[in-house]
Amino acid sequence: MPEHGIEGLAAARLWAATKFPYLATGVFGAQVIADPGSGTLSVDESWRMHADPEVTADWTAAQLGSVLIHHVCHLLRIHGERAQDTGVRPDEAADWIRAADAEINDDLVPAGLELPGRPVLPRDLRAEDGLLAEQYFAGIRRQAARAAESQARSGPWLDWLDCGSGADGIPRPGQGQGSEGGLPRWQADLLRRQVAQDVIAHSKQPGTVPAGLLRWAEEILTPKVNWRAVLAAELRRAVAEVSGAVDYSYRRPSRRSAVAGPVVLPALRRPVPEVAVVCDTSGSMTEDLLAMVLAEVEGLLRALGLARQVRVLACDTAVAPAQRVSSARQVELIGGGGTDMGAGIGAAAALRPRPAVTVVLTDGYTPWPAAAPKGMRVVVGLLGEGAPDAPPWTRSVRVEP
Amino acid sequence: MSAQNPAVEALGVAVAARVPVLLWGAPGTGKTSAIRAMAGAMDLPCETVIASIREPSDFAGLPIVVGGEVRFAPPAWARRLAEAGRGLLFLDELSTAPPAVQAALLRVVLERAVGDLTLPDEVAVVAAANPPEQAADGWDLSAPLANRLCHLAWQTEPRAVADGLAGGWSAPVVPVLPDGWHAEEILSRGLVAAFLHVRPGLACAPPSNAAAAGRGWPSPRTWEMAARLMAAAGAAGIGDEARSALIRGAIGDGAGVEFLAWLVEMDLPDPERVLADPASFRLPERGDRAYAALAAIAAAVAADPTAARWTAGWQVLGLAADTAPDVAAVAARVLARCRPGDADPPAEIRLFAPVLRDAGLL
Repeated sequence: MPEHGIEGLAAARLWAATKFPYLATGVFGAQVIADPGSGTLSVDESWRMHADPEVTADWTAAQLGSVLIHHVCHLLRIHGERAQDTGVRPDEAADWIRAADAEINDDLVPAGLELPGRPVLPRDLRAEDGLLAEQYFAGIRRQAARAAESQARSGPWLDWLDCGSGADGIPRPGQGQGSEGGLPRWQADLLRRQVAQDVIAHSKQPGTVPAGLLRWAEEILTPKVNWRAVLAAELRRAVAEVSGAVDYSYRRPSRRSAVAGPVVLPALRRPVPEVAVVCDTSGSMTEDLLAMVLAEVEGLLRALGLARQVRVLACDTAVAPAQRVSSARQVELIGGGGTDMGAGIGAAAALRPRPAVTVVLTDGYTPWPAAAPKGMRVVVGLLGEGAPDAPPWTRSVRVEP
Repeated sequence: MSAQNPAVEALGVAVAARVPVLLWGAPGTGKTSAIRAMAGAMDLPCETVIASIREPSDFAGLPIVVGGEVRFAPPAWARRLAEAGRGLLFLDELSTAPPAVQAALLRVVLERAVGDLTLPDEVAVVAAANPPEQAADGWDLSAPLANRLCHLAWQTEPRAVADGLAGGWSAPVVPVLPDGWHAEEILSRGLVAAFLHVRPGLACAPPSNAAAAGRGWPSPRTWEMAARLMAAAGAAGIGDEARSALIRGAIGDGAGVEFLAWLVEMDLPDPERVLADPASFRLPERGDRAYAALAAIAAAVAADPTAARWTAGWQVLGLAADTAPDVAAVAARVLARCRPGDADPPAEIRLFAPVLRDAGLL
């Protein structure tokens, strides 16, 4: 291990690894470098911590260990990258770090973190516990806009220290990115996964791991699928398979036939398929989510050049007449009560011209027909968490905002 | 630009190893020019074929009746490559090619067969595509075609663009595979085989949704590709980042990350072997690896605490106490708790007293 020249570092790391055993891999994975005169202990995105020996000398082992844990959490939750995605300007970096600190501290301080000074907690930002840094940061931005001119921007956090580029994504002079000694990105990703696995393993004993950290680990190990991308792919595929859109067909001779002599070549054809959307309007549906998904479907169909063909059916146990719409805002959701999507699919199949693709948006609490309707593709959007599965003859997409 | 862009490095290795590769990237980010420059630097004749404006017969061969039977005549670009005996076939705009053209490309990409003509083994196949969400008329790649390619994400670094605009684009550095690099393939195949013994579920895991189907996913074919790329990456001596991009590109992100994590773990010493011969123990340099190694040894002792194993465990910790007292102390606390009845307290225990006292744990 390289010379770090920080007194009491070993004891601090030992304290951290004992008190928070599920983060031990992260604590030992970070490299600590002495950086005299920096006046703080900061972290960069390559898992290197830059410590000013004069600052750390005043801290107890528990305090230094807590700062290490705190910084490891900045890295685990990739606050640097998220700051860039959020568009944090350099003059807002301090606000972002307060937001990121609040995200970490809200469950680690109750778990026994002993940070020097007064750590930022969500209540300092007039927010509730358990939110994301982005949400805390949006709150700070709103408050700053309200407070307007420069005044009223002081608080107990001003005595808190700079957490570094690992927390806000803004490079610090003299701390090269990944150039010498730090962890390259892919190794940092592996380390993060390892910590997540440790957290899950420790959570088998109830009451040991803070809930926020457990939620983080579960998200790392089973990443959320972006339903928009999946829905788009399923729709594109259904439209492509049904219509053979812009595909080759022997129905018409190719334009190259003139020079190809006796050979029959296929030509490009593009039939335009009809699309119907069946909306579940039973009492159990959330209207906001339905409107959001409907708008998404409409946007996708417009991108495929099919927006004019869309017909929307509202359905609970009975089916309202089809509405031809040009915008999701025009859809009137009439209905309520029980649900039978079979009726909706049957009604879609009875439309003339017959739709080649039917999109069903439902919460899944419905009976389904036993088999697929003939000659029609069915794409199901299952809305809301824990929706029951759709039958295997459909292509289903889970939509969980 | 001093450091080589990992995507370029990975591309170079894939071309040199003759593994079909597909670059995903936004339009206008220099994929095409990078591939042409790569062909130039490797002195390979480059044939560019834009898949989206071709018909299936351009890849499956044009059917011609000759003396009562149908021949599938290859187009001119295939003839030129066959005559040169080597070269780079560049399939541009792959994701905007209609499904029928993608189907016709299957044999071209993997078997290098165009109509009745088979391209020489020395022809590398490289493709480029825009992600479907960025190309207005894009299609998702069909799963069989996606499974035949190593998928690399093309990223542009703002600094490289700035340098390139000001001072001209630097020629890509071409990785050189030494003769006989194939010998290393046996080793990497062995590693893959060992991993698949541990995780048989990953031997073949077709993607469950349509969006993931257009990228790399684990199958026997892609595992073979990954083994080949791993051997080539090792022989060319390219960076870890590029190596990991190649492996993840072949078998997909999920399986790729698990495989890479397993490789890292494989580097750790085997606890039973260390306990049999404590003096042979070398502490891994990185803190988290050292922690993983010592924790594994302590756990092995705790699982079967005999006096001999317990003493051997303390000897290992004694060796580590000098360089990493904190890491060793964590393992020491585990050992101290599982002391077998007939064992004497070891001398090494004293080494940890100061650091434990400083941490307030004594």
